[in-house]
Amino acid sequence: MSWSRRLAALLPRTVAEDTGGTEPDPRFTFANERTFLAWSRTALALVVAGLGIVQLLPPFPGVPSGRHLIGLPLIALGAVLSVAAYAEWVRNQRALRRGEPLPRSVMPWILAATVTGIAVISGVVLLLSAVR
Amino acid sequence: MTESAERGAAGQRPARPGRARVPASRRPGGTRPGLARERTSLSWTRTAISFAALGGVVLKANVISGLIILAIAPLIWQLGRVTRGDSPGTSLPAVGATRLFMITVSIVAVALLCLFIAIFGRAVPGALR
Repeated sequence: MSWSRRLAALLPRTVAEDTGGTEPDPRFTFANERTFLAWSRTALALVVAGLGIVQLLPPFPGVPSGRHLIGLPLIALGAVLSVAAYAEWVRNQRALRRGEPLPRSVMPWILAATVTGIAVISGVVLLLSAVR
Repeated sequence: MTESAERGAAGQRPARPGRARVPASRRPGGTRPGLARERTSLSWTRTAISFAALGGVVLKANVISGLIILAIAPLIWQLGRVTRGDSPGTSLPAVGATRLFMITVSIVAVALLCLFIAIFGRAVPGALR
């Protein structure tokens, strides 16, 4: 499936028109919605952390762009996670309606990999800052 | 002999007399949202509070952007209330994809705004010292 079709499948109107399957147990629907909201809060927390690092932390001595190196990827990750959370909600709701097994989530992997990468960058920036 | 007593006699956990063991989904009210509705409502409230917290941080860097994000917080809270406010019993209000889509769009817009502030805004270094 092309990217444009994938994106079109995420639009609310397309989701609402998909009436395949039957309405699932309300508790599952609520649980799916809570999971989406939890990911959204995680995304917001990443944005706050990124902005706080760039705007409020004192600069790293000797590494002038250190704060941006750490903070900007966090903000970008927040935006990506938010979109991925919505896509996952759509996929899960579709699977619940059709009684299919829930699709595998890649979001924990994305979050873990990016946070690890940012932690490594932070370590390098701190080391460089201590050496200079 | 009742069905539950037969099941008890078959070697499984003995059933108490007069209490049939039926799956939760078949019990009266077994599929009612119950506390799930409450938990979801609280989740919406927490999300609104997260928006307000982000607005507070942005307020420090850029007053107008901070106020805009702070104004989004009550809207998010209202989105969660509108859909499941007074619907009684088991009826689940249609979980519109539109409101979740709106949350996503809001977060992406806020993230882009924060990216702009982070790159071009005037930093307040040492505010967290």
